[in-house]
Amino acid sequence: MESAGLAKKPQAEGRAASHSLSIRNLSKYYGALAAVDDVSIEVERGKFLTLLGPSGSGKTTILMSIAGFVQPSAGEILLDDRPITNLPPDKRNFGMVFQGYALFPHMSVEDNIWFPLRVRGVSRAEAAKSVTASLELVQMAHLAKRLPTQLSGGQQQRVALARALVFQPDLLLLDEPLSALDKKLRADLQWELKSLHARLGTTFIYVTHDQEEALSMSDDIIILRDGKIEQMGAPGELYERPVTRFVADFLGKSNFIRGQSTGADGNSFRVAVQDIALQQAGRVAANEAVLIALRPEKISVSRTRPSLPNAIEGRIAAFNYYGSSYHLQVETGGLGDLIVTVPAWKCEIDPAIGNSIWLGWEPDASVVVRDN
Amino acid sequence: MKGDFREKFGRGLVLGGAWTVLAFLILPMVVIFPVSVTDQYYLSLPKDGISLEHYAAFFTNEIWLSATAQSVIIATCATIFAVILGSLCAIGCWRLSTNLSESVRTFMLIPIIVPTIVQALAMYRFWIDLGIIDTYIGVILAHTLVAIPYVIITVSASLANFDLRQEQAARSLGASMPQTIRWVIVPSILPGLLSGALFAFTISFDEIVMVLFITSRAIYTLPKRIWNGIEDHLDPTIAAVATMLIAATLALLLLDLWVRHRRQRRLEQAASVGE
Repeated sequence: MESAGLAKKPQAEGRAASHSLSIRNLSKYYGALAAVDDVSIEVERGKFLTLLGPSGSGKTTILMSIAGFVQPSAGEILLDDRPITNLPPDKRNFGMVFQGYALFPHMSVEDNIWFPLRVRGVSRAEAAKSVTASLELVQMAHLAKRLPTQLSGGQQQRVALARALVFQPDLLLLDEPLSALDKKLRADLQWELKSLHARLGTTFIYVTHDQEEALSMSDDIIILRDGKIEQMGAPGELYERPVTRFVADFLGKSNFIRGQSTGADGNSFRVAVQDIALQQAGRVAANEAVLIALRPEKISVSRTRPSLPNAIEGRIAAFNYYGSSYHLQVETGGLGDLIVTVPAWKCEIDPAIGNSIWLGWEPDASVVVRDN
Repeated sequence: MKGDFREKFGRGLVLGGAWTVLAFLILPMVVIFPVSVTDQYYLSLPKDGISLEHYAAFFTNEIWLSATAQSVIIATCATIFAVILGSLCAIGCWRLSTNLSESVRTFMLIPIIVPTIVQALAMYRFWIDLGIIDTYIGVILAHTLVAIPYVIITVSASLANFDLRQEQAARSLGASMPQTIRWVIVPSILPGLLSGALFAFTISFDEIVMVLFITSRAIYTLPKRIWNGIEDHLDPTIAAVATMLIAATLALLLLDLWVRHRRQRRLEQAASVGE
């Protein structure tokens, strides 16, 4: 069983954990295939939780179970310790934002936003104030009379957000809401979503396969793989201390070095990779096989041998220029090909194919991960 | 040069064939029109001039008017029932979309496949047991049954373009399933629904085989009256009625085309304004 308390201390005394969501031992089978396999999650009101994983990892199935569109094969979902597992979607009071916006094409923007109030018996006149306030929240008040098809993708997603928030839901569920937008707009909306979350204090549960979105907005991230929780924690924690090869590779980029522990050396231990000796922070008993994950930006480059515990010479096999940085592919012989990220504006070496350079890193720059 | 000739000849053959078939389809209908304005007292082409007396005869004859009224009542009721039942069936099958629901949808098309005369015979036997022979209920029921498949086909086609996430969005926003159907699904599939209704009305309005089997004296629909009219005496009023029917059908068809065209145009315009 996988379980962890993501709940942290409430930010304010007045908003104690009065609306929490608990997912207990949730499983969903499609025939023999487990889309979600015994997953338990605790999320406290006011958090921004992201379910991150590749396609087929079960993240959308979990979200759809929370929303009520997928009936779990086993397990329970509780809101405030009240079971909602068998409640139909319309009785749950959760706002939801979809990947394709899912605006009603035959209704104007304001009628789309009136809709959740309309089904709750609020007349158009009574709803007018809330509708306008909700549109102002997403800076769309000036386009209230338009039809959805007359809006751009970003504008449509803003309307979808306003519609999902106008009835003050207990939770806001977001299913890859930015994936249909272009890169620049996606970055803008990440800022907006985060500030919206801070202003409203509503719990956001966000599903994405985009690690940048997950890192930039979330309080907590759950990384899913094959229907199971691989690792969960705050973004920095997951990035700096991935537990498995999968996490180190999925969240950001990593170089992987396979070696053999040869015993402790102060606060670190030695790793033999063929005839190269490396120093790695932590402690692993001698003669154990270890897998080291090393972030490309934590490797320093120089023309001469650096005075670092780990250093190796290599030849530049390929490079990409990204404006802010170079990505170098360096052939090192003993350690294989390493990817290195170097800030472009103060690059000390000449990034030309064939040039020899030195790579170096501290023992605590890399982490030991479980191979899976 | 030789290839050029063969190409031209081939094209001429195809075009000629196409026009012949078209003429074969349309000419009998076109002939009806001059016959309807004949000045004679039997079915014939006008001799000494044209006259609208047979149109006048239709509008002053109690028998023709009552037959028309009966047909309109029956077709309207059958259309309403067929649209409600057919679209509910289509929505249900679409919503479930399992192997079973697919089979149900195919099964529902049987009234189109089975020869009408066979169905008419079966209904005749069954309607006697039910005691609804020669009643409005009996004819409406029979016409509803044959019209349902057309509604299912047109509504299913509309639903194929409907984004399931819109339904999910409505439900997550607090709409019950009936509210979702009324406010989200039906407005989206309205063109398919209207087409289905048009089909249902047309089919009921000119259906005769079943009517001949399951009615006797009380129910006289317009097609049945025309049929009897031809058997009894060759009254040119029939031609006038036929002309008006063709005109009405043509008008409905053009209306359907126009509605679709306008919707398409509006969507395209909207799409070009967005982005």
